[in-house]
Amino acid sequence: MERVDCIVVGGGLAGLAAAYGLAAEGLEVMVLERGNYAGAKNVTGGRLYMDPIRALYPELWEEAPFERAVARESITMMGDGAHTTVEVASDRFAGAQPQSYTVLRARFDQWFADKAAEKGAMIVPNMKVDELLREGGGDGRPGRVIGIRAGGDEIGADVTIVAEGVLGMLASAAGLRAEPAARDSALGFKEVIELPAGVIEDRWRLNEGEGAAHLFMGTVTRGMLGGGFVYTNKESISVGVVVGMAAMLQQAEPVESYKLLDEFKELPQIAPLVKGGTVAEYSAHAIAEGGIARVPKLFGDGYLLAGDAAGLSLNALVTVRGMDFAIASGYHAARAVATAKKAGDTSVAGLARYERALRESFVLKDLETSRAIPRIVENPRLFMHYPRAVSKLAESVFTIGAQPSPRLAKTVWKGARRDFLSLATLKDLWSLRKM
Amino acid sequence: MADILVYSEKADAALELVAKGREWAAELGLGLSAACLGAGAAEAASALAAHGADRIFVSDAAFDGLPADTVAAALAAAAAEAGATVVLIASTRRGKELGGRVAQKLGAGCVSDVNALTLEHGELVADRYAYGGATVAREVITTAVKVFAVMPKTFAVGDPVAGAGAVVPLPAPAASAVRVVGRRAKEGEAVDLTAAPRIVGVGRGFAARDDLRLGTELADALHAELACTKSLADFEWLPESRILGLSGAKTKPDLYLAVGVSGQIQHTVGVSSARLIAAVNTDKEAPIFALADYGIVGDLYAVVPALVAKLQSL
Amino acid sequence: MSLDIVVCVKTNPDAQMIRIKNREPVLEAIPYKVGDLEKNALEAALQLRDAAGGGTIRALTVVEGDRKIRETIKEALAMGADEAVIVADPALAGADQAGIAAALAAAVAKIGACDVLLFGEGSTDNYSGQVGARVAELLGWPQIGYAKKLALAGGGIEAERSMDEMIETLAAPLPVAVTVVSEINEPRPISLMNILKAGKKPVTEWTLADLGLDAVGAQKRIVSNLAEEQDRKHVLFAGAVDEQVDAFVNALVKEGVVGR
Ligand SMILES: Cc1cc2nc3c(=O)[nH]c(=O)nc-3n(C[C@H](O)[C@H](O)[C@H](O)COP(=O)(O)OP(=O)(O)OC[C@H]3O[C@@H](n4cnc5c(N)ncnc54)[C@H](O)[C@@H]3O)c2cc1C
Ligand SMILES: Cc1cc2nc3c(=O)[nH]c(=O)nc-3n(C[C@H](O)[C@H](O)[C@H](O)COP(=O)(O)OP(=O)(O)OC[C@H]3O[C@@H](n4cnc5c(N)ncnc54)[C@H](O)[C@@H]3O)c2cc1C
Ligand SMILES: Nc1ncnc2c1ncn2[C@@H]1O[C@H](COP(=O)(O)O)[C@@H](O)[C@H]1O
Repeated sequence: MERVDCIVVGGGLAGLAAAYGLAAEGLEVMVLERGNYAGAKNVTGGRLYMDPIRALYPELWEEAPFERAVARESITMMGDGAHTTVEVASDRFAGAQPQSYTVLRARFDQWFADKAAEKGAMIVPNMKVDELLREGGGDGRPGRVIGIRAGGDEIGADVTIVAEGVLGMLASAAGLRAEPAARDSALGFKEVIELPAGVIEDRWRLNEGEGAAHLFMGTVTRGMLGGGFVYTNKESISVGVVVGMAAMLQQAEPVESYKLLDEFKELPQIAPLVKGGTVAEYSAHAIAEGGIARVPKLFGDGYLLAGDAAGLSLNALVTVRGMDFAIASGYHAARAVATAKKAGDTSVAGLARYERALRESFVLKDLETSRAIPRIVENPRLFMHYPRAVSKLAESVFTIGAQPSPRLAKTVWKGARRDFLSLATLKDLWSLRKM
Repeated sequence: MADILVYSEKADAALELVAKGREWAAELGLGLSAACLGAGAAEAASALAAHGADRIFVSDAAFDGLPADTVAAALAAAAAEAGATVVLIASTRRGKELGGRVAQKLGAGCVSDVNALTLEHGELVADRYAYGGATVAREVITTAVKVFAVMPKTFAVGDPVAGAGAVVPLPAPAASAVRVVGRRAKEGEAVDLTAAPRIVGVGRGFAARDDLRLGTELADALHAELACTKSLADFEWLPESRILGLSGAKTKPDLYLAVGVSGQIQHTVGVSSARLIAAVNTDKEAPIFALADYGIVGDLYAVVPALVAKLQSL
Repeated sequence: MSLDIVVCVKTNPDAQMIRIKNREPVLEAIPYKVGDLEKNALEAALQLRDAAGGGTIRALTVVEGDRKIRETIKEALAMGADEAVIVADPALAGADQAGIAAALAAAVAKIGACDVLLFGEGSTDNYSGQVGARVAELLGWPQIGYAKKLALAGGGIEAERSMDEMIETLAAPLPVAVTVVSEINEPRPISLMNILKAGKKPVTEWTLADLGLDAVGAQKRIVSNLAEEQDRKHVLFAGAVDEQVDAFVNALVKEGVVGR
């Protein structure tokens, strides 16, 4: 069997970050990606939070093909016929060191793949890995992972980094993790709609090069867990809807999920924003929502799991964070493997430093802090009742009727008492303390 | 005096170029020469003379098989003799490879597969497909001598004109190292896809040659002509004359129905001007649907028989 | 017999992925790959070499501009070429067929060992069919265009070539330049094992100066390069086959293209 030092399964951000680091350490690394090219099959909202990863591979971020630095954050709560938007802008969001950038994966991942190739990594597109090869397993133990089988060939490696993304089929088949359950998954639908840069800047009131992130919750998902989003890229916008899989399956009427996106785009708040644009790309993709409780063992004899394949993503209400986790886990995977190789020990013991490193980094810390989120957000009231109630209340504040108006305070009090001061809402509030 | 020089091994294609060359020669104040090489050169020369070529360069060398190296040498000699600044060649397969070789000899730029050539502000602007047919590039050659290989039928043959051109003998070039060993006609009947108002196109979605019967039945039910992708012609399931696309026919039917065709750009360039495009394909991501007015995502083996039945019931 | 072959390989933006925006082709972020017909040429080279019983196959490519090529050309090595030769020089930016042919011809001369020089009948993006003929002219070699069958015969090569109306069988001595059509063969799929081996094969890079060449300017000016406008209805019919077919045929009837 031909051998390399390390095989990386999946050329997404986790896999590429691992390959880049490994190649930089002079190891022979091969990335197998089933798409036509790195980035071809990858979906994100999306924006990349920089602060968590800025210090990892600092040389890369200087020249990365980011779209826009997000200068303004908005969230809109949508009720029936009324909605309320909270908008937050800060000089610090898009300052000298922007906290987040919008990205387009087709471009970003290809660039990352080029960087890894420059360091000497072998990037092989159009190559689906069919199986992880194991040796000596049995009795429910996976045994040592000794390489992969793809396209009829078997290739061996000291360490195989499994970065195959959210479905984790190879890892599940090899017994390295459980299959994701519906309750722990969401589905995202997204279109990239092209608009001239000037039009984007006018419509979103942005300075040149700056961007906006806008999230929507409430009637967008018909009250199901999830929400809608709009991110501005350089010359396009990313528009999408995320819905919890379990919530979707629980609907009495089957939801034709892709229709949610069409409905979203037709909303009076969205339609004028997308007007005149051309749809350049449509994609649908799963999102892991299980949180830390569903993170499997991250390493074993001869293998590591990284990125979405390891369940390393966080869905806090409507924002999804996964790319920074993917990059950081790839980075730590590369360091762990390089160190293990030098020490000549790629067994469980040698690779354990990977999980230790993740525990010490934001990756597992942030997931730990957010441990309760997946269960909190299962509460449908968050996605139906509150957006409606907030909108209704706000609407009443701004309504002047034909009859003499009551005092403003009275209006607010009435609405608040009706919608926010019940036992259920107090319970909800109590549950939120863990967010 | 500078000339426009015309050459094609195909008599009618040469006449087309002579007709247009005549027009431009008058407009640009140039002479018009032509070259006739190989078997039948003398008769071809008199036809060209009758259509207005001022000078016809003729060589009685054998030119067996018209090998590109010797033909290019003869043509370059003719161009030098005529002081040609524009060389028009018909973009047949022979013409296309000749274009490159003769241009190289003349230090000239060359545009091949030209499907429109127009004189704009004294400049010849050539249209040709680029990126496999995704775009049409309009190009101007900037060298002193310009070589254009123009698709046959781009121009019409003109009427004969009065006056007889002079025949100028060309010295025989050195013989080619390439020898003709044999020659046989291509199989398959000639079809003119460009004349068909409706076309059914079949592709690799058909799993076996015999299954093309389904395509034929569908074409019959639609009173349409059967066409195919290059892949099927490469398998020799259908003759090359039925290829639609960059290396086949470019058509403008009222209806193009693609069955089991992915719709790659080199194919669709042959039908993108159809009034209506329809498609049957199992893959809803197939590029053909991006170009289709009407589509059925489905298995042709189920859809086509149902379509035939429905059409026959009309 | 040992047969040294050079295959001229162009890498092009993946034609299937080029999108049109405001009628302009968008080439940004489009991966490059070895041209389809050049894969046929590589396959032909492998078969000829096998028939000869030995020899070296070199994949030769000229890069117009400073595009990254080392990764892309590995595809040719993974298919089976033994070595890759890259001619890359900033001065080649914007070069057209004459410039590329000049670089190719000079590189073939510098390589020296070349009995058969193979090309695709046309490149995926330009499909001009000129480069092969221009290189043959520069080298002063005989050429056989549009080969659909190639064999070694009598110390030279015999080829069936596919012309507009006939199949012609030609024989030529070596060295010879040959362009191939797609029906000549089915290029072999690339195996992972060979990709792995490709990473270890020698790759030589030359600049124009290494070839003793000056920049060859473009001989053409592009006035415009735009897609034709398309305005299509994009109606997909849902339901069971019969329903789809009914709706489909009704639509065609309404459009007046079928029925009475
Ligand atoms: C709608 C949506 C919105 C999101 N928004 C955001 C956001 O705004 N911010 C954020 O940070 N994150 C966001 N995320 C999450 C983020 O996109 C993921 O967490 C991230 O892409 C994970 O990276 P990865 O490298 O682990 O996996 P992926 O990017 O999924 O890469 C896995 C790769 O493995 C390949 N692969 C799979 N199986 C095989 C096989 N058998 N053989 C070979 N290759 C294989 C796949 O083709 C793929 O390229 C969003 C996700 C979705 C779906
Ligand atoms: C320089 C150059 C010039 C070329 N010129 C031409 C040209 O002139 N004309 C041309 O056609 N091609 C040309 N090609 C080739 C072209 O690029 C494509 O390879 C070719 O058109 C693909 O043919 P296809 O659609 O039959 O096959 P494929 O691309 O393999 O598509 C087959 C399709 O059938 C579908 N399918 C499979 N099974 C079924 C089923 N049971 N029911 C329904 N659908 C099914 C599949 O989903 C797929 O979309 C050229 C290529 C090059 C490089
Ligand atoms: N830049 C290049 N590098 C190597 N070979 C090339 C290049 N451009 C063209 N060729 C070869 O010439 C053939 C015809 O190309 P073209 O004339 O562009 O249609 C191609 O199929 C290749 O074999």
